[in-house]
Formats: sequence, structure tokens, C-alpha cells
Amino acid sequence: MKRDRSDSMNSQGSLSVSDESIARLLCDDNHVEEAVRLIMKKYGEPLYWHIRRMVVAHDDAEDVLQETMINVYKYRSTYSNEFPLSSWLYKIATNESLKLLKNRAGYSMSVDDLGDSLKDSVRAEASPDADETLLLLQEAIALLPTKQKMVFNLRYYEDKSYEEIHQIVGDSVNTLKTNYHYAVQKIKDYITEHEL
Amino acid sequence: MKEFDLEGLSREMPYRMPEHFLDDMTERVMSKISQEQQEQRRRHKERRIYVLFASAASAAAVALLLIHPFKIGGPTIPDYESISQCASIDEVFQSMSTDELGVYSMMSNYYGN
Repeated sequence: MKRDRSDSMNSQGSLSVSDESIARLLCDDNHVEEAVRLIMKKYGEPLYWHIRRMVVAHDDAEDVLQETMINVYKYRSTYSNEFPLSSWLYKIATNESLKLLKNRAGYSMSVDDLGDSLKDSVRAEASPDADETLLLLQEAIALLPTKQKMVFNLRYYEDKSYEEIHQIVGDSVNTLKTNYHYAVQKIKDYITEHEL
Repeated sequence: MKEFDLEGLSREMPYRMPEHFLDDMTERVMSKISQEQQEQRRRHKERRIYVLFASAASAAAVALLLIHPFKIGGPTIPDYESISQCASIDEVFQSMSTDELGVYSMMSNYYGN
């Protein structure tokens, strides 16, 4: 496999392959499996946490991550070099997470109505030594409307720029900024209210 | 009430990811992709066989039309002139094939004759 000059060794000594190289392999039928392996190696963990923050339960995150990677393989021809590979991957993962939540909500409810049930899952899924404030933060996030939740998670945890979030979520940058502002305010209010 | 400082909070998650989860997931995904590839190959093969059969059937139909262009239709019924040349109605019936007799019988029943 040919690699770019941008492919480099990271601090752990393992090879960090550039997104451009992975994207090229993904579009080549003879190397697509290698590309999927590299994506799992580079983005598997961040995608898992992104999904988990949306769906909360590990089992659901597992299903969604698997479906995300299968879709990466199935719809690889739709990937355009105009967008960063990571944005495309996060977009698929976000859509798959929403699909799972919509199935859970059924016809009679919207995804936003799942807030209370997701909030209840936070403590059920938490590790025994979890910090109380971190649990409150996750509860507050679980109660946010879906759009605000997506924007907050991508900005706060993934450190994505509004331009990148726009590529993933699709709303205008100004709308995203407003969503983030409201999300932060609601989270602060929730934690301030519930903190001992 | 003092406002909570979100920026000072750790980005850690209060959940754990099971050990070897990502390695297991990678193998599961690769296995699913392999199944998907086999399925694609099978669908592709089936499509090719279908196209092959459809082409053969079309070619056979065209060939039949070219070889026997006027032999289309059901059993022939003796016309008025051939009937009039017969000496009696018994001869007419004798000259008719089984198919023609069948058609005659059907027509007789239909017209109540």
C-alpha cells in the first residue's frame, strides 16, 4: 500500500495514516477492507464515544457502531473528497444513532421525548466509581433536545469547529451557535439545581 | 446562586468501554463485510444468469418467427368451398381432425345447434 508523506508515527510508535490515504483506499475495491480496518483503528474509539453520548447504553452503542461501519463500506462511493473523512464518518454515526432513537420512540413519540428514559439510563450504565458531577452532566445532556445535544457533544467533547459541525448536522453556523448557547445554559442550570 | 463552571469540568465519561471491545468489533465488522461481499457476488452472478436466459429466450423467439412466419394460430377449420366439394356431411366429419371436431363441437354447443 502506498502511503502519503502525511502518514506519520504517533507518540505511541504506531503508524498514523492520513485521512487522504484512508479515503483513497476506501474508493479502491481491492483495498476497501484495509481502509475499514484503518478507520476502526483511527476513529473506532471517538465514534464509539460519540454514539454512546447519544444513545447512553453500551449495547445500543455497540449496535450503532457496527451499523455505522457497515454503512461506511456499503456507501463508500458516496464519499466526496470535498468534506473531511472524519465529518463523513461522524455524520453516518449521528444518523445511525438517531435512527436507533427514532425506532425506540416509535410512531407515538419524538426522539426528544426519550429524554427521561435516557436520563435514567445514565446511572444504570455508569461505572461504580463515577464522579457525581460527571453523572449530573450526562443527565443534563440526556434531557437536552436532540439538536442541542448533538451540537453540544460535538463542540464540548470532540472540540469540533462550527464549520465541521455544520458538515455533520447540516444546520447553519448561526443556528448551531444558538443551539450550543442554549445547551450550555440548560446544562449549567441543571447541575446548579441538582448539585449537593 | 453561583453559576456552575462547565469549562473547568473534566471531559471524562462516567462509563467504561469493555476491554478488547474495539478489536472484537473490528473483527465482527470485517466478517459482516465479507458476508456482504459474498452476497454481492451472488446477486451479480444471478443477474448475469438472468440476462443470459432472457437473451436466449428472445433469440429463440425471433428465430421461430423467422423460420415459421405464417404458422401462427389455432387449428384450421375447413372453409365453405372444401365442405361443398364433399359428397356428404359424413365425409366432412371424416375429413376433420380431432382438434377440428373439438372446435366444431364447442361451436355447436355455443350456438345451441
